[in-house]
Amino acid sequence: MWRSLKQILTTERTLPWPEEAVLYYSINAPPTFKPTKKYSDISGLPAPYIDRHSKLFYSNAEEFATVRSLPMDITAGYLQLRGASTIVG
Amino acid sequence: MDDVLVLKDYKTIPDIVHEYAPSLKFGHIPLVIDNGSYQCRVGWSIYDEPYLTFKNLIARPRKDRCKKDADPPVTPPIQIGNDIVNIEAVRFQLKTQFDKNIVTHFEVQEQVCDYIFSHLGIDSEGHVPHPIVMTEAFVTPNYSRQLMSELLFEAYGIPAVSYGVDSLFSFYRNGIGDTALIVNCGYHTIHFIPVLKGKVVAERARRINLGGSEIISYMHKLLQLKYPVHVNAITMSRIEEILHEHCSIALDYQEEIRKWANPDYYEANVKRVQLPFVQSSSSSTLTAEQQKERKKEMARRLLEINARKREERLLEDEEQLNQLLALQELIEDGETDEFNEAIKAFDIKNYGDLQRQIANLNVRIEKNKQRIAAAANAEEVVETRPAGRYQPPNDPEAFQVWLEETRAKYREVSARREARRARRAAMAKRRTAAAAERMRAISRLAAAGDDFGYRDSDWDVYKSISREADSDSEADGERLVELEEALREYEPAQPSQYHHQLHLAIEPIRAPELMFQPSMMGNLEAGLAETMEYVFKHFSEEDQLLLANNVFLTGGCSQFPGLKERLERELLEMRPFQSSHKVVMAKNPNLDAWYGARDFAGSNDFEDWCISKEEYYEMGGEYLKEHHASNRYYKSPAPLIDNTLTPAGDANVVKEEIVVDC
Repeated sequence: MWRSLKQILTTERTLPWPEEAVLYYSINAPPTFKPTKKYSDISGLPAPYIDRHSKLFYSNAEEFATVRSLPMDITAGYLQLRGASTIVG
Repeated sequence: MDDVLVLKDYKTIPDIVHEYAPSLKFGHIPLVIDNGSYQCRVGWSIYDEPYLTFKNLIARPRKDRCKKDADPPVTPPIQIGNDIVNIEAVRFQLKTQFDKNIVTHFEVQEQVCDYIFSHLGIDSEGHVPHPIVMTEAFVTPNYSRQLMSELLFEAYGIPAVSYGVDSLFSFYRNGIGDTALIVNCGYHTIHFIPVLKGKVVAERARRINLGGSEIISYMHKLLQLKYPVHVNAITMSRIEEILHEHCSIALDYQEEIRKWANPDYYEANVKRVQLPFVQSSSSSTLTAEQQKERKKEMARRLLEINARKREERLLEDEEQLNQLLALQELIEDGETDEFNEAIKAFDIKNYGDLQRQIANLNVRIEKNKQRIAAAANAEEVVETRPAGRYQPPNDPEAFQVWLEETRAKYREVSARREARRARRAAMAKRRTAAAAERMRAISRLAAAGDDFGYRDSDWDVYKSISREADSDSEADGERLVELEEALREYEPAQPSQYHHQLHLAIEPIRAPELMFQPSMMGNLEAGLAETMEYVFKHFSEEDQLLLANNVFLTGGCSQFPGLKERLERELLEMRPFQSSHKVVMAKNPNLDAWYGARDFAGSNDFEDWCISKEEYYEMGGEYLKEHHASNRYYKSPAPLIDNTLTPAGDANVVKEEIVVDC
């Protein structure tokens, strides 16, 4: 029988561990408290703008033209790469 | 900058089977395995270098679909580690025993172990008579260790095993005191492990779930999206090579990327990477001119042949005419008998026939003469091309201007078409400006009075509300095709290697920057610097200072150029004003863990830190003997028994098994 790391950790969590035990899930890094910076999806430059249509970040007019000409699968790929491809919104 | 980086496409060399010397066989020599999620390094504790270093991967080829009447299918062999010569060929069949940084697939681990032991030449019957030092991840779940011990003790019958943490081994190997903040940048994780006076403060340690593999796949995806044409040429292993050799960490990322906005800076610093390409075959490029030449040549030769044939025929006809005329003379002279004799030879019946034939011949000769004359004239006429609307001028300068103009026209027309397309697409959706505009036009149209249609321009309104392609776009489409053809024909062909180059601008610093800003790939964890600050915050002032003065960098990903400087800069920012700090790099970030483990296996107390077979049976598979470089051992508590559920927990089942084995 094979279990994934996630399953192993879930099982581990359900056990009544002593107070001082340090487990895999308890040393996860904290969530970031700094505001995340926006970078242009296509060039990586600092991006002050968002294309409302495709939701991509872009940094200047030239890039905007490029963003607008990108096919759907590419824009979807960029969003997914940024982890912004949620089904809702 | 004209130098182009050429990818080397490194190939692995299959490992040899090492000799299993008697001194090893009977010496009870410990075997040291640094079981990392990227690479596995294996060697004997008495030697300086590891014998085997290979990627912890196996490729299990799929079975050939069995044809009914054919022989039983030949299963291709499983390739492991360095046996995988071309990793891209089996990319989709790769398996690793790791899930993140923890071993979970023990079937794969067993195959890897088989590979290790067979390549070390171990030939003892049924068991491996060597104690093993194995590295494991920081705070490995007991379950994983239990299965690892089970594998080693039960499947290989090893006498003893000792587990340690790779980064701690590396730390002790470098001998930089007993207090440090270890920063281990691995393939799947970045660990921060504070060590105070030789004691690991595990509860303050932190782990960022991001590492080299994420950086590779980020860069991979990024370049694939940038160059959709080369999706297949941009392979993981090439990205890995680029990452290893051309990437670095920026000292000040914001400032660095701002520089790239300047086109001159871009031109001066962009890295061009040449992808392999096939020189497009001769048919298209080198013969655009030559083909024309050849065609002309052929036409000329045909003409010549025709002319020669005509002349021959003309001569023949004239000859016959002369003979027939001679016959005619005979009859005119009244020598009828001779004539009658002679016409038999010519297949002529009577005088009338003869005259007809002479007339025919005369006509033919005349025609032929005309044709020959015409052909001679035609050669002098310069052939004119059946030309489209877009003809380039011959003058090279004017040609450049023409080329520019044609390109501009092409761009303009295609932009127009794009705009129209976008408008139509927008019109099809609800609640867009274009759709609203269309509705307004329709309502205006409905309200238009009887005078609609007096002017021709009135009818244009249908163009603006139509959702289908209209006549304008058809006309543009035709023009586009014409322009395209003209450009294709006359544009000087670019050497094809330029089409196969990747331009790396910000990417080489953007991908490693993930370590500091995981948010770039949607990971909400704090980055390297922020997590470090977080770790510091939980210590007293004095301890913070001690740790900051000995930040120890190890692990494969710590080899990015500039990481040390960047960390120093971040420390300067986060530490109190004028306090000191120091970052120390591991001497060999890749191998120090193995060296450390080897030193550990060679030390005098090694025997005391080993879990023997008896202890394994007595204490259970998850048991761990703690030492300076190991994890802490917390015995798994018995699960809370919930009577409402079926009590058959996994832990119980495993324990029973162990009892049986006793």
